[in-house]
Amino acid sequence: MLLNINNLHAQVEEKSILKGINLQLNPGEVHAIMGPNGSGKSTLSSVLAGREEYEVTEGSVQYDGEDLLEMDAEARARRGVFLAFQYPVEIPGVSNKLFMQTALNAVRNARGQPPLDMFDFEQVAAEQMKKLEMSPVMLERSVNVGFSGGEKKRNDIFQMAMLEPKLCIMDETDSGLDIDALRIVAEGVNALRSPDRSFLIVTHYQRLLDYIKPDHVHVLYDGQIIKSGGFELAQELEEKGYDHLIQAYQEA
Amino acid sequence: MTTLSKPIKKHSPVAQNAMSFYQQQVEALIASESDVALVAFRQQASQHFAEQGFPTRRDEDWKYTPLNAFLQTHYHRTGVAHVSDVDIKPFLPPFDVMHLVFVDGYFSERFSDDLSELPDGLSIESVKDALDFKQGYTAFLSHEMGIEKEAFGTLNSMLFDDGVVIQLEPHCVVERPILCTYVQTQNEHANTIRNRVTLAHGAQLTLLQQHVSLNNELNAFDNVVTEINVAENALLNQVVLQALNSSSVYFGLQFVDQAKNSMFRTHYIGLGSSLSRHQNVLRMTEEHIESEQSSACFANGQQIMDTRTHTEHQAWWGKSRQLHKLVLDDHAVGVFNGMIKVAREAQKTDGQMDNKNLLLSDKAKVDSKPQLEIYADDVKCSHGSASGQISDEQIFYLRARGINADDARRLVTQAFLLEPLESISLTPVRHWLAEKLMHKLNA
Repeated sequence: MLLNINNLHAQVEEKSILKGINLQLNPGEVHAIMGPNGSGKSTLSSVLAGREEYEVTEGSVQYDGEDLLEMDAEARARRGVFLAFQYPVEIPGVSNKLFMQTALNAVRNARGQPPLDMFDFEQVAAEQMKKLEMSPVMLERSVNVGFSGGEKKRNDIFQMAMLEPKLCIMDETDSGLDIDALRIVAEGVNALRSPDRSFLIVTHYQRLLDYIKPDHVHVLYDGQIIKSGGFELAQELEEKGYDHLIQAYQEA
Repeated sequence: MTTLSKPIKKHSPVAQNAMSFYQQQVEALIASESDVALVAFRQQASQHFAEQGFPTRRDEDWKYTPLNAFLQTHYHRTGVAHVSDVDIKPFLPPFDVMHLVFVDGYFSERFSDDLSELPDGLSIESVKDALDFKQGYTAFLSHEMGIEKEAFGTLNSMLFDDGVVIQLEPHCVVERPILCTYVQTQNEHANTIRNRVTLAHGAQLTLLQQHVSLNNELNAFDNVVTEINVAENALLNQVVLQALNSSSVYFGLQFVDQAKNSMFRTHYIGLGSSLSRHQNVLRMTEEHIESEQSSACFANGQQIMDTRTHTEHQAWWGKSRQLHKLVLDDHAVGVFNGMIKVAREAQKTDGQMDNKNLLLSDKAKVDSKPQLEIYADDVKCSHGSASGQISDEQIFYLRARGINADDARRLVTQAFLLEPLESISLTPVRHWLAEKLMHKLNA
């Protein structure tokens, strides 16, 4: 098992948001977390990625046999946890190239691999950018500065491809994307699917899932998973919305 | 009826002591001087200084730049100390330059490159030589740039010992940068430097100036005035690197006159000094003039760093660009003051001035005052100032990719501070300066 979330409770500023999440991911599996606004979706991705403003009050998270919650954000990233941001951050003056070379070499160092020099790095980067239909000039530009919404998300997928993580958490990556950008993000994800890489896709809409076709779909409501199923559950939600599930859950 | 009279400025006993000390210095200097015109010049400055005195914190332009500590030390002029090649070598950059060295304010023939074999059209001489041989003498002493409005400019006129006079004849293009290195070697010593740089029409030059201290123990005072003339179609790229030790004091004043179709670009890099102030006064008097004034300063400990510009657009189609960045750590204080003045005749002026400051500590302070004064009606001018701390979101983004928190902060800070250097077109120069900035940041 790659990820084992057990009875996870978390709060931010004294407000309890996650109220007992249980979730298991095996290597190679793609899981989607869906839910209405305010259900705790983004909190779950933030807690897993190591944002410090979220406090875990109960429960545990085992990642690849280790206690994930004991690690800081950079240690998680180095062990293969990748968060694709809902809103990728702009960093003026830091070129994508310097950023990614620094990040990749930090991750490689943790894996016991030698660092890549500028020449080797550029070669690897150029290949990945080509696959993602990104212009090579993006490497020279400041991280996400002046990028369109789609370019930012594509840049995140590019980083994912470069760092070769074991667990990819996609935090509403699809928000604000037009249909072409969505297709490219989905194709990027599909190209990276492999038997030893798992995905946790957090989304409000089914759109992205149509392209990615997750193995498992979970519905999050009020900090708990109220229903789990296969891809058909996402289709059902698209037709009927969340209300009937919430109603059924509240009545039970 | 009331009569308007200039209020009499009250000076503290400390300031009065310092004033009489510098007046004694000029008297001694005048007594040993035989040249009538130079004596008259120094006397005039001395009289003006007696009326003007040192600024106090009641002066608007000195509100955030306290002189108390400076006034308590009396900086002497005692002449050149003994230094050797080994002392000077470490200041040389890793690229080819024409090197001029000044020790304690005086031109040093011994450490400088041979001035007898200069490219055609370029002449370089020390101010001492220029005055002795009366070459361009009248031009050197007569100016109308408002130096006397600045107390430290007046002090410079009173006491300057030496400096450099660089002249380029029409269409003289000098490829190799000229580097002036001003080395402080003595404690409580005043190094008063007066430079004049004249580019005739179509001439081109890269001028680098660095202020350095021989060691970290001495506390000396560099007071430099540089008068620059850029004629029609000429191009001057200038860099001033202030890398004194953290006890010393730096006052730099630059007066720049530009003619039609000329380009002047200046970068100031501030690293050292307990107290420093670097100030440009630009007059863009004819049509189609372009200028850039940028700066990158990093202050920590108790350092006070003051950067200011005054840019006058006086004719059509002028373009000016400015990017000033300050990074402040510990208890450091930063000051930025910039004024763009657009005269009524200066239509189609395109002026931009940006000041951005990054505070790395809660105790650091910055005061920024960008100003526009526009009398023309068809111009495109903007000014902005922003001060803030490193964004947590940026740091988290980098950490989420495996970069540790310290490296993430360093990456973001470096990027912030190095941005003004991007417009330096000579790559080795840009790298040299970036290296200096990063060395201090990562220390």
